[in-house]
Amino acid sequence: MIATSHVWLRRSAAPLVVGALPAILFIMLFGVYAGWTIAVSFTDLALLGRKAIEPSFVGFDNYVRLVARDGFLGAVWTTTVFTFFSAIVGQCGIGFLLAVILKGGKKRLRGIVEFSLLFGWLAPDVVAAFMWSALASPDGLLNTVILRPLGFERVHLLNLYAMELVVISNIWKGTAWSYLLFSAALDTVSREVVEAAYVDGANAWQRLRYVLVPLLRPQIATNLLLVTIWTYAFFSLIWALTGGGPGRDTEVLSIYMYKQAFEVGKLGYGSAIAIAMMLIVAGLSVLYVRQGKDALR
Amino acid sequence: MIAGIRPSPARTISVNLLLGAVIIVWLSPMSWLIMTSVDPEASGSFSVPSRISLEHFAVVLSGTSLRQFINSLVIALATAMLTTAVACMAAYPFSRLKIPYKDTLLWSLALLRILPSTAIIIPVFLTGRVLGLLNAGGVVLILTLMNLPFAILLLKNFFDTIPTELEEAAYIEGATLTQNLLHVVFPLSRAGLAVIWFMAFTSAWNEFLFPFVMLRSDQEFPMAVGLYAAFGQYGTTDYGFLTAYSIIYAAPAVLVYFLLKRNLTTGFAGVGVKG
Repeated sequence: MIATSHVWLRRSAAPLVVGALPAILFIMLFGVYAGWTIAVSFTDLALLGRKAIEPSFVGFDNYVRLVARDGFLGAVWTTTVFTFFSAIVGQCGIGFLLAVILKGGKKRLRGIVEFSLLFGWLAPDVVAAFMWSALASPDGLLNTVILRPLGFERVHLLNLYAMELVVISNIWKGTAWSYLLFSAALDTVSREVVEAAYVDGANAWQRLRYVLVPLLRPQIATNLLLVTIWTYAFFSLIWALTGGGPGRDTEVLSIYMYKQAFEVGKLGYGSAIAIAMMLIVAGLSVLYVRQGKDALR
Repeated sequence: MIAGIRPSPARTISVNLLLGAVIIVWLSPMSWLIMTSVDPEASGSFSVPSRISLEHFAVVLSGTSLRQFINSLVIALATAMLTTAVACMAAYPFSRLKIPYKDTLLWSLALLRILPSTAIIIPVFLTGRVLGLLNAGGVVLILTLMNLPFAILLLKNFFDTIPTELEEAAYIEGATLTQNLLHVVFPLSRAGLAVIWFMAFTSAWNEFLFPFVMLRSDQEFPMAVGLYAAFGQYGTTDYGFLTAYSIIYAAPAVLVYFLLKRNLTTGFAGVGVKG
């Protein structure tokens, strides 16, 4: 069943397969877990109480509830807004622009910008959340250094502008990744192409729009895909910063799912939310992969 | 590159202003963090400390918070080691042997890689409760599981780029499989191994959701959950303690990155191209 064209491996196929066994078991367990979530989503399994021991099969009830009650749809909208502004516009947009501007710029300046971006990326999520909640507190940096000198009253930013803060802190956190990726991708574009466009009279915007973006389209599509997937399921930063509040203003899908499953205790309904989340992400992935393929034609 | 081959002075100035703003926005949270952590009379507001002391750091490095630091270290190191070892042993045969349905396997790994943790957290919690794995050991196992698909994919790509002639030559010289792996294949794929180790270490160091759901007492918490539990705990926030805690928590992740930086740039280029 398993063959090799390499002489030195002919007699070692058995030890190699044995070596791979732990990984195979782990991966199979991963698959089993995913299937298990699907199975649980068709039951009314609860965290505690009688339904924790003897759950019953409820068919598509949990999925019907997703659409029938407004909690889920609201969370889908919140997640979409959060992902669009923080990941697509913020991280990818700013990361791409910075990569383009800094390419061929002064070495030292580039080093400083890279270092600052990297710090945001390397700081753990909860540290980022703590920092931004402190900065936004009524006597924090944003109030004392920016808003007060401009003549504004002290405000509780986390209560009034929770979504904006969550978006900004996620841009602060994740831009370095897109920057690094686009920076590496730009190295593959030959200078002659850009120079030729310049000689032909293309201005900076045209060079960006008609030369660099089309050339880098596969990498841009890949990165948009990765970043969207991560951001769509992001939990820790938002949870630690706002806990989904105030009210439900920043209750993204992962937080909604956590609350329903582990706070309300409806594991069945929580599983249905998780599966719906996966389907949405899968749909988005197909969209992006198509885009990337079109570009290769 | 885009700013032009001969940019005008006005454009150079505006670009520099823009970059200056980026640097300020990105670094001001960090400078606030550092200034507050060394200020013995720290409050939430932004103020230059009148005198510098390390007393907050001393408090963090004792008692429960020290315990949480060690918990984080144990979890992250164990996850990184386990992930790298298990992925190595699987990625090598995956790269060299002809396995039926190899493409299907590759695709399913790629699919698993994008599965969010929320998709499996409920069964993980249920099995953990039954098997008594709602502890650090269980967290290590589950984080390894989450890291493996990506680790195997990346490492397989790396092994693919190593010319097989080298292994063949070593074999002819009489090297056994183990010697071949330890002295030829692994040294040549240092960059790939570094990326995997780093990814597993930082993701485990950073991880919040799994320990948050799986662990219950503050003696068991890693720093991620410890920090979350600590802010807002005493009514008024103890900014000195929390900033020092944050710095100590963030330091290893930053340190590991800069230690492995040279290897990582090669590895990231690989991620970008192969997706």
